[in-house]
Amino acid sequence: MELFAQDLVNGILAGGIFAVVALGFSLVWGIMNIINLAHGAYIMMGAYTSYVLFSTWHLDPFLSLPLAFGLLYFFGYGVQRFVINYVVRAPLLTPFLLTFGLSLLIVNVALFIFHGDTKGITTQYSGSNISIGTVTIAWTKLWTLVVALIITTGMQAFLTASRTGRAIRAMALDIDAAQLAGVRVSHLYAVVYGLGAGLAGAAGVLISLSYSLQPSMGDPFVITAFVCCVLGGLGTVQGALVGGLLYGVLEAFGSQYVGTGLQDAVALVVLLLVLIIRPRGILGKATA
Amino acid sequence: MGCIRVGGFPALAIAGALALTTAVPAPASAANGTIVFGAALAATGSTAREGELTKEGYDFWKDYVNSHGGIKVADKIYNVDIKYYDDESNPQTAARLIEKLVSEDHVSFILGPYGSANSATAAAVVERLKVPMVEGNGAAASIFSQGYKYTFAVLAPGFKYLQGILEMARTLKPVPKTVAIATANDTFSVEVGQGAADYANAHGMTVVYQNKYPAATTDVSAVVSAIKALHPDMILNGGHLDEALLLQRTFKEQSVNAKIFGYSVGPDTPDFRKTLGKDANWVFGGTQWSPTAKYRGAPGFIGDSNVYAAAFNKQYGHLPEYHNAESTAACLAFMYAIERAGSLDPQKVRDALQHLDVVTFYGILKFDSRGLNVYKPMAVNQIQNGELMTVWPLGVQNAKPAYPTPPWNAR
Repeated sequence: MELFAQDLVNGILAGGIFAVVALGFSLVWGIMNIINLAHGAYIMMGAYTSYVLFSTWHLDPFLSLPLAFGLLYFFGYGVQRFVINYVVRAPLLTPFLLTFGLSLLIVNVALFIFHGDTKGITTQYSGSNISIGTVTIAWTKLWTLVVALIITTGMQAFLTASRTGRAIRAMALDIDAAQLAGVRVSHLYAVVYGLGAGLAGAAGVLISLSYSLQPSMGDPFVITAFVCCVLGGLGTVQGALVGGLLYGVLEAFGSQYVGTGLQDAVALVVLLLVLIIRPRGILGKATA
Repeated sequence: MGCIRVGGFPALAIAGALALTTAVPAPASAANGTIVFGAALAATGSTAREGELTKEGYDFWKDYVNSHGGIKVADKIYNVDIKYYDDESNPQTAARLIEKLVSEDHVSFILGPYGSANSATAAAVVERLKVPMVEGNGAAASIFSQGYKYTFAVLAPGFKYLQGILEMARTLKPVPKTVAIATANDTFSVEVGQGAADYANAHGMTVVYQNKYPAATTDVSAVVSAIKALHPDMILNGGHLDEALLLQRTFKEQSVNAKIFGYSVGPDTPDFRKTLGKDANWVFGGTQWSPTAKYRGAPGFIGDSNVYAAAFNKQYGHLPEYHNAESTAACLAFMYAIERAGSLDPQKVRDALQHLDVVTFYGILKFDSRGLNVYKPMAVNQIQNGELMTVWPLGVQNAKPAYPTPPWNAR
């Protein structure tokens, strides 16, 4: 019972990060139909932004989060506008390969600048924790979850309440009708891709608080994002959140009760089951 | 003609400058030729960092030998050179490049790639081509269970990695009785964990937890909570740097206390101390070599660990890690074997490697019939107040083990 409660908490805490990781990926995939393989590279860029600001000016990672989000937003906006935009209507495989190439380029530039050394951020409060009964919770992870929830709620508010957000949703529903209604598609595509990159950057900052940094650190998170999107349902904020939390809990229980070596396998088996039983994901809407 | 004149002048100038600088310490210019070694090392990919450390270790030896009179083979003096290719951290690429080094570049001696996986594919190729390879960065005993005759590893094999910590633990008071062992699920790490478990079982300790997690995992919280529930005296990990960092952080986050925290990889890399700061204190690490270990090496190369470390630091601007040292040691095995063989024939050099028995700044270089250096003990390091100290074996230690590790809330 003691273990069960601790694993549940661990899973939810990890799931918060996974949700932010999946959110940007889900937006780009759901709205633009691009499986963005550069997502991991953007996560790495966010993490290194946090590292540079921390090691140079001792800026707390939670404070560098908006900066990393902004930086990656503009970077992503530019990448979409001047690179991906040329192939956005091409068959699925073309942007897929393009983002793969981008990822390789970014990771190798990072390798050139930062070398392959493992880096990390250790703050004054790293590792401090509270105990509730037999369950121990690290403050860093708890705050990370809170920030993850703020980000997802903010994103949801943006998409439902703002004019740009509504235009994005209209574009996702029917791109031609949206265009006829005056939506500037190329600009909005760049906004969506920028948001995707910005959210990846924010996730990178959160990740930098708990994990070590190296240029290829983002790669495993692309698979995580993919699984969370499919689990939760594509293109919606709630889908990413549910997918992320579910993945976190599944992984935690899987590694405790099925076998630590099989933690990924358990989550992937559930993914397969979801694909068979409910292919649109838990919260995904059926398409005609 | 223009090309020759333009190219000729600097060449002459450089030759003159070389003669001036090298004539005094040793007659390097009297070399009768150059022995070219070949190596496929990662310059890109996941082990680019380790590949770079390996290359530094090889190059340090090359520069030292060339500036101290070269290698004596029978009556002739040879300079040395190393031809490198980038194996992109990929075992298949490493194998292909070694084939290229031997068949196209006509290299007769191979210095090993980085890592057990790449060393394993490389070993299969050199065996087929009958060219000796000495490596310092692939310690999985599985490479050496294939009956290969041409691959030699200077480092102690994987199963010994954590045994030094256990040997040391048996001398401490109170003697730790229970052990938890978490390993990554790759061949090498599993071997490290099994070696530790076997040793613990054979010496009256109880292994209360032995489990594998996926290599390069981003989440070890389930492993940590399971270990916490068992309250072991010692917690050992066979894995990689990233996992060691993640485990140590998670142990603190979940307030897991033990008398000994020991890692196969991590504590002796500067990154471990830099990343964790004071949370790295008290941690033990099994290590192949440490700059503070007091070995006395044979003539022909720097015999003292400290002197090696200082000279290396001067050349590369950082102190050598064990990756650097074991790479240099691989070159030394070749150097002593070639000198003893008195020949550049690959077969004769292989035979000399098989019978090599020499102490170097890195420790003993001696191979069993499989090519494994089972004669070399693992040293144990401990981080004490941010400094890496050698605390075991007794003969080479420069500090006493700090024990037991205090609980997190009392540090």
